Amino acid sequence: MALANPAVTADAVRARLERGQLDIAGAVFKALISLAILLSLLVIGVLLYDVVHDGWSVLADRPVDFLSGTLRSQAGEAGVFQGLRGTFWIGVFTVVLAFPIGIGAAVYLEEYAPDTRFTRFIAINIRNLAGVPSVVYGILGFAIFVKTLALFPEWLPFLGGRTFTGGRTTMAAGITLAVLVLPLVIITASEAVRAVPDSIREAGFGVGATRWEVVRSHVLPYAAPGIITGTILSLARALGEAAPLILVGAVTGRLGQSGGLLDPAQLHERFTAMPIIITDWSGQPGAFQTENAPAAILVLLVVVLFANTAAILLRNRYEKKR
Amino acid sequence: MRFPPSRLVRLTAMLMALSLFAAACGDDEEDDPVAAEDTETEESSDSGASEDPSGSGATGGELSGEINVSGSSTVQPISVRVAELFEEVEPDVVVNVDGPGTGDGFELFCNGETDISDASRPIDEEEVAACEESGIEFIELKVAFDGISVLTNPANDAVTCLTFEDLYALVGPEAEGVENWSDAQALATELGSTTELPDAPLEIVGPGEESGTYDSFIEIVFGDIAEAQLEAGAITEDQEETTRPDYQSSPDDNTIIQGIEGSDTSLGWVGFAFAEEAGEGVKELEVDGGEGCVAPTAETIADGSYPISRPLFIYVSTTAMEENPAVAAYVEYYLGEGISAVE
Repeated sequence: MALANPAVTADAVRARLERGQLDIAGAVFKALISLAILLSLLVIGVLLYDVVHDGWSVLADRPVDFLSGTLRSQAGEAGVFQGLRGTFWIGVFTVVLAFPIGIGAAVYLEEYAPDTRFTRFIAINIRNLAGVPSVVYGILGFAIFVKTLALFPEWLPFLGGRTFTGGRTTMAAGITLAVLVLPLVIITASEAVRAVPDSIREAGFGVGATRWEVVRSHVLPYAAPGIITGTILSLARALGEAAPLILVGAVTGRLGQSGGLLDPAQLHERFTAMPIIITDWSGQPGAFQTENAPAAILVLLVVVLFANTAAILLRNRYEKKR
Repeated sequence: MRFPPSRLVRLTAMLMALSLFAAACGDDEEDDPVAAEDTETEESSDSGASEDPSGSGATGGELSGEINVSGSSTVQPISVRVAELFEEVEPDVVVNVDGPGTGDGFELFCNGETDISDASRPIDEEEVAACEESGIEFIELKVAFDGISVLTNPANDAVTCLTFEDLYALVGPEAEGVENWSDAQALATELGSTTELPDAPLEIVGPGEESGTYDSFIEIVFGDIAEAQLEAGAITEDQEETTRPDYQSSPDDNTIIQGIEGSDTSLGWVGFAFAEEAGEGVKELEVDGGEGCVAPTAETIADGSYPISRPLFIYVSTTAMEENPAVAAYVEYYLGEGISAVE
């Protein structure tokens, strides 16, 4: 049949359609979109060069010291460990709280909720929430997780007399950022679930599967790569936010307590985080601004890249399964 | 987040002890809004009391507990440095230092959330009222002096020293529209300055209204002149505590430094620490506040001979000092060995 050699056929068809004329609009379009990608790469390249150029000396001279050091008054002694610890726990809260709740809400909205004016109203509002400036979430976090939840010390007896969040703590910050990225998770997960072809659902229903079975073994696996892409974006956003943390009460100058990375006791302690350290150091005189801040930016970049790589590997696995 | 049983028992015991303690304290307890802080401070005062409540500082290594310091970002590095040195004496005391700004610091302080508030200006009446309302009593301690450096580009040879009058004529509210140093000559001379201003384009870079450095600069440099000019009718009341509106302002001191480096005949002002760190890229001008030209150095700022300097304070909650002996020890260390070791 004619499909035996599709390359030749396609060329032949194009040659006849173009009748020997140049496709000028097509060429211009291609040049423009190439320019767009080049510009994006150029901006990233310049930023990376600048940061590596300024920050490399610190990471090369005292890599272990810088990564394991605490906030200090002397730029040459200061390190980012406490920031890494805070950022790590914020990531944990985002993964543990925002992802299940967000994906659950998305599946409910797409698969279970009836298409009424009310559900559409909710869907629109979730979209609006995703556009709310992060500072507003900071104020929310301060009002609810730092203040209100600190008013009921007897709330949960197993907290041993501490309040739920304990005030301006790692926990309050983690919950605040989980709430911040929740709309983003819901929206991206909704899109992924909506992109699952109806034929797949109908095939499931056709062989007598219940809605739960269809969602579990057909819709979710099919939507998983899309959902994970959304969670990558959300996690990266949570790790990079500084503004809400300032309001929740991140510490900039000195953090006295010195627990390990995984020590859960610090959930109830004051905290700091990488973006906060970067912001603070950038505003200080001398080597803090010229060397330490770029080095801290590099560290945060690597952390985010690690998180993203893990998520991308996970996504690829699901894509293959599909 | 389940604690192992032994920990739970310990916490319960601690709670019971606390409730007894609270009962014993009676009505002293009424005004502590933050319950979380409550537990912590009392825990520390408990352990402190069981050892030696009067043995502050000198003995060393006896105290424990948490001290929260917040306030001015200018004072932050000093408090951090002192905390680092203090840690060597009292390793079990946890000191947190934060620098959201003097105003924000007082808000926390008068709310009972911090023990010590760093400040680059004295506490104002509203803040005193807020503290009184929540029953926070405090003491004010002067810990250091901070200078504000007036800067230009090293290429600007024609200028080495400026008087307050020159600065008013160049940057003050009446200078709006002045684009050349020499355009300010008439006003500066009229105000009594004898400096000769060069014929060169004037590019001003400085902090904006949100900055404490802006407020201090206006108050110290323009204060008397602006008052006289107001009486003479040259400016309106609204203009008294302002600069000219038409200059390049930035909240970031490093950006200001870059602006000054970027133009040959620039003029600007930043905190002394930033000017010193900037090195060769900028020239620090001498300033004449009526008693001759003085260059800003650590010494001239500390002894008050450099005219644009301001005191830096810490405010200590006496309530916190009574409850937590570590606070008193830290403050004592701050004023004694701490401050002399810092600079």
